[in-house]
Amino acid sequence: MRLAVLLGVVALALGGCASRSISVRSVPSEYPAAENAAAVESAAAYAAAAATADTTAREALAPVMPADAPSMDTYDPWERLNRFTYRFNTRFDEAVFLPVSNAYRGIPSPIRSGVHNFFGNLSEIDSVINYALQWRLKLSARSLVRFVINTTVGIGGLFDAAAKLRLPGAPTGLSATLAKWGIRPGPYLVVPILGPSTLRDGIGLLGDYGASYGVNIANLYRGNVSWALGSVNAVDQRSNVNFRYYATGSPFEYENVRFLYVRKRLIEDAGLRAK
Amino acid sequence: MTSSDGSPAQGSRIQRCLVYLSLGMLLSGAGSASGSEANGAPGLADSAGLRATVFGTPPQNMAPLPTRVPLLEINIALPWARPVPDVFWFDRKLRVWFSPQRKPAPLAIVISGTGGDGNTAQLSILRGALYGAGYHVLTMPSPTFAGFIVSTSSTGVAGDLMQDGRDLYAAMQEIVGRLPRKVRITEIDVLGYSLGGANAAIVKSIDAAEQKLKIHRAVMINPPVSLFSSVGRLDQLFADSIGSGDDAIERLYRTLYAALANLYRASDRVQIDEDFLLGAAATVLKTDAEFSAAIALSFRMNLVNMFFAGDLYAGTGVVVDPRRPPKVGDSLEESQRILRNKPFAEYFTRVFAPYYLKRRPDSTAASLIADNRLDVIGDALRHDADYYAQTNSDDVILDRRELAWLQDTLGSRIAVYDHGGHLGNIGERQQVADMLKMLGGGWPGQAK
Repeated sequence: MRLAVLLGVVALALGGCASRSISVRSVPSEYPAAENAAAVESAAAYAAAAATADTTAREALAPVMPADAPSMDTYDPWERLNRFTYRFNTRFDEAVFLPVSNAYRGIPSPIRSGVHNFFGNLSEIDSVINYALQWRLKLSARSLVRFVINTTVGIGGLFDAAAKLRLPGAPTGLSATLAKWGIRPGPYLVVPILGPSTLRDGIGLLGDYGASYGVNIANLYRGNVSWALGSVNAVDQRSNVNFRYYATGSPFEYENVRFLYVRKRLIEDAGLRAK
Repeated sequence: MTSSDGSPAQGSRIQRCLVYLSLGMLLSGAGSASGSEANGAPGLADSAGLRATVFGTPPQNMAPLPTRVPLLEINIALPWARPVPDVFWFDRKLRVWFSPQRKPAPLAIVISGTGGDGNTAQLSILRGALYGAGYHVLTMPSPTFAGFIVSTSSTGVAGDLMQDGRDLYAAMQEIVGRLPRKVRITEIDVLGYSLGGANAAIVKSIDAAEQKLKIHRAVMINPPVSLFSSVGRLDQLFADSIGSGDDAIERLYRTLYAALANLYRASDRVQIDEDFLLGAAATVLKTDAEFSAAIALSFRMNLVNMFFAGDLYAGTGVVVDPRRPPKVGDSLEESQRILRNKPFAEYFTRVFAPYYLKRRPDSTAASLIADNRLDVIGDALRHDADYYAQTNSDDVILDRRELAWLQDTLGSRIAVYDHGGHLGNIGERQQVADMLKMLGGGWPGQAK
């Protein structure tokens, strides 16, 4: 049964289901007044932060110089396979992922943020382990404290009570740990459904899942519960990512996404090693 | 509407800014690259104009916008569409966005600027303002947007005002005829910003002859007067602020990379996300040369797509071998590398002109350029009281003569603001109030 559903979804995504000449679908409404109010607020917050930033001493590290920038080319020996996967992901997203996450965004936001917090709380365990492996014990302890507070005071993780106690979340994972140990990203890799990654980050992802599976907190990672939770988690994640495949209409989107993703990760790696 | 936990509600705006920014930032090394402060940017732009062009209207200056705007996404296959080339497998249908009122209402059709899709940040603001004022709002991509070229264009070679206008007009009829039945339209007006402004006016002039949509009024926001002079100014901006050739782009990239890496190290963030990029743009882009580079590069990124599509359809062989067009799985990296060094002038000489000269036997390069000036509909603009425009006295895509031409031609039907650069005051209280008066027919002329 599970397999049949999965195969159906894959067939849909591969074939593309839109053969009608017109499709009209509701997408989430816009809330311009609220967006603008939020923008006013964040502009003010940013201005305040920028005003104080100049006075705080920068770290005494040698700054990154233009000559240190990696080449503009990206190591992508599996390009054909990656392009195929990217195309699959596009179709899957249009046919399944995006419509579902758009519908999900119709649910009142307090409920959605409860769900988001719940999964964020589960991932603290992985952060505890990985911060320890990165030998950043303070952060490891902070993740542990967050987990304890949010699981109890935050009612099973539905509320991020710890953030209100000035313990904001800072999730990490195995790919960050590998980066900290100096392991290079390796070849570019497009992961089915999840999207842009590298070999190292892909392994990191598997490792993170393995850790959660191993710890198996409250037996959530076994049997049908794990499938249900995994799906909700995926939808939650998707609805928090503002990306639409080929919104740019560009034939070079694969190249552009690859370029930006890998540069972003390299900057994060360098920052991580410096910290 | 949450972009990440903790930053509510500004997601969609940020998303649309993101491509602009992350690419716009790719750029910012510019200052040190050329080592020169913008010694006189082309056109009318000054420092404040360039800054406004990059950052847009500050949120605190925005006109009041409605609480909620419903949104439908419409994907439509047009009956005249040409076979879709392999590499454009994802662009089969024209995608537009529609916000219906519940009651009978006028329909405002808004056209995007050069290379823009049907849901840009500017369109989102205009949609909010128009919907709040009681219009049904339909937002459409620019005819120079790759998705439009593939799904809707009858030539595949974008940038010809009349041809693009006819394609747009045909698409509008198709869409308006197939809107949900309960939508009741009392009249139709067209608007557009940047190149879309010129497109809107042309569409109205075509409709004046054909009467298929009975378009009432047209409002052009920051339109070009001569398409090719305007893009020429953007080419110039690119050459001045970034330079030319692979070296210039690589230098820009390296400077930007270093700037972002240093910012990231100094911050306490775990991830580079949208908020980080927004903050970084404000930190990194400071000088005129940097603003210029951001503007020029974001234009160039759009041009690359249009150039590629044009070359493919026209069979002109600049980067696409007409006998062996690329397949779905093929790398396009080399094509992109070549095209990003090419200015619009080269699109004109190697794709646009060869294509249209062959099909219009009496034309010359000079006549093609002249055909792409707003004065092809100069008489209508001068005598028909239903054309309006809004522009700024520091708009980089205009020069003094062109601004004077607009003022002379439209007379009291133009509003010229003393700030905003190119599109940098869209959504501002005055701009929105004036636009609504123009559309409603209650425009008294600009107060002096």
